[in-house]
Amino acid sequence: MMKTLVVIPAYNEQDNIVRLMEDVESYGYDYLVINDCSRDSTKDLLIDNDIVHLDLPINLGIAGVTRVGFKYAKDRGYDCVICIDGDGQHLPEYMKDLIDEIEKGNDYVIGSRFVSEKKPVTLRMLGSRLLCLLIRLKTGKKVTDPTSGMRALGRRVIEDFAESMNFCAEPDALCHLLHRNFKIKEVQVAMKEREAGVSYFHNPLKSIYFMLAVSLSIIFIQ
Amino acid sequence: MTNALRLGLLLASLMVFLLILYTVIRRMLNIKYSIVWILWSLLSLLMAIFPEIFYSLSDLLSIQIPVNTVFLIMTALLYALTFYVYIMISKHNEEIIKLTYEISVLKKELEDLKKKQ
Repeated sequence: MMKTLVVIPAYNEQDNIVRLMEDVESYGYDYLVINDCSRDSTKDLLIDNDIVHLDLPINLGIAGVTRVGFKYAKDRGYDCVICIDGDGQHLPEYMKDLIDEIEKGNDYVIGSRFVSEKKPVTLRMLGSRLLCLLIRLKTGKKVTDPTSGMRALGRRVIEDFAESMNFCAEPDALCHLLHRNFKIKEVQVAMKEREAGVSYFHNPLKSIYFMLAVSLSIIFIQ
Repeated sequence: MTNALRLGLLLASLMVFLLILYTVIRRMLNIKYSIVWILWSLLSLLMAIFPEIFYSLSDLLSIQIPVNTVFLIMTALLYALTFYVYIMISKHNEEIIKLTYEISVLKKELEDLKKKQ
């Protein structure tokens, strides 16, 4: 049996986190919520409900928070980490599918919305297509959902990610792994629209910056 | 270079030099990071006192107006310094993540111990 840790980054998730954690806990894996210095009552909710968590003293942002999660997993000797967003868009019922693939010997498993489903034509998905194309040009490999934050990591990838500072976000991290011939698999999952709170990509300038940073990273760095 | 420019450069670099010494002595700037600034202000003092260096340097580089050589050198130095700052920021960023991780784990372990008692 693999030692598995569910990492849940949470920033201002007071409306989602308790419900989500009841769901996650019912699957029986070890888990760790990382409170990224939320300004709402997330911290109190975590304490009152006895949810296992780390409370960061400063706001690190999503990339830093996941790094903290990977460091924790590495130090505690976990064989597998699975990332679930604190906003409730990733459904815990699919965790097992991803973990099973790690157990079969894959290094990195992505919960993709578009393995068997068709990608809709929206502005956001146009960005997704562009990143797929870039990754394909760079590595020659085909991926369907490079921006998915729901992913499971095997031991080798945990160690790699815990120490590296060279990723802007998921797509270029994926490209890094593809380029180094890690075994990568995509599993079909469904995701919910976020239940409460505001998405980072609500701001068009941030979206443009994200695309630019990730594209440059894929082209020149990874 | 005109005399006015020369005098301006001399005064400016002298002021910069004194300002840097002042900030180090008043403990606003870490001595470790002040070295490069002290060297730099000494260099600009040297430039103001002996502009002849730049006349011959300009000839060597086929730059027609010596002041452009000054700009060129200054810009290059600024680039180098800014880049160095970015490297330091990256390093500090990594260190902050490590520290934040350690602190949060310690906090968690302390809470777990308190609960057990």
